[in-house]
Amino acid sequence: MLQNCAPGCTWRFSTHNRVITFNGHVYRTFPKHDNVELGHIRKMVRFLGIDQDCATQHIPGLFKVKTPAADPAKKSK
Amino acid sequence: MNNYPLIFAFRDAVSGNGYLSGVTATGRALMAHEDGQWWMYGVCPGGIAESGSTMQEAYLRFRNTYKNALFDMAEEAKSFPGFKELVRNFFNDKHEEEEENWQSALRELRSGKSDPATPFSELPRWKAESNPPEISVTRLDAASQTFVASQNHGDLYALAEAA
Repeated sequence: MLQNCAPGCTWRFSTHNRVITFNGHVYRTFPKHDNVELGHIRKMVRFLGIDQDCATQHIPGLFKVKTPAADPAKKSK
Repeated sequence: MNNYPLIFAFRDAVSGNGYLSGVTATGRALMAHEDGQWWMYGVCPGGIAESGSTMQEAYLRFRNTYKNALFDMAEEAKSFPGFKELVRNFFNDKHEEEEENWQSALRELRSGKSDPATPFSELPRWKAESNPPEISVTRLDAASQTFVASQNHGDLYALAEAA
């Protein structure tokens, strides 16, 4: 997901967490273990300003999918 | 209510590379019920989240993750000024979207349309305006530093309320 939705992002392990850098922000508290809960990914995506639609394409259910009918901006088109 | 605006006050002593530092923070977080569990989302600092089956569990895990982030920064920094800069950057990197959610939850509380459920109703109430986010990083091993027992404070957290 990060490779496709956050090009240029870097990450590394610290002693306690994973540290992810993107878009001028540093997310220092991403869990090191596998099977990370969706809430952690959701927070990281929102905090780093990663495109939510792109992230949801890679991780279904991460964010509620916007439907054209639910998006007032697209309704008038 | 599914979202609750919290204010917390943490105090930590952190050993770094050649120094002992005191980190005192008054921060903000949003406690939200999502995916069948409680999530404590950092507002200030913004880059932190933890979950639990109860609000208290989410808080305790949030507290531990916050402390571990300080320990990671102490490892990363070569000196006290570097540590101070890392901690300040971490704390001040707010999450604007979460801040809006926090303010929205505060407005909902203020409106009185819905009452906070237990255990939130049992939390102390702190005025948001009187407890703005702030961080202090000091050097505790400085020769001029004095220590008195009254400096000891436990961790605190409260439900935010409007002035």
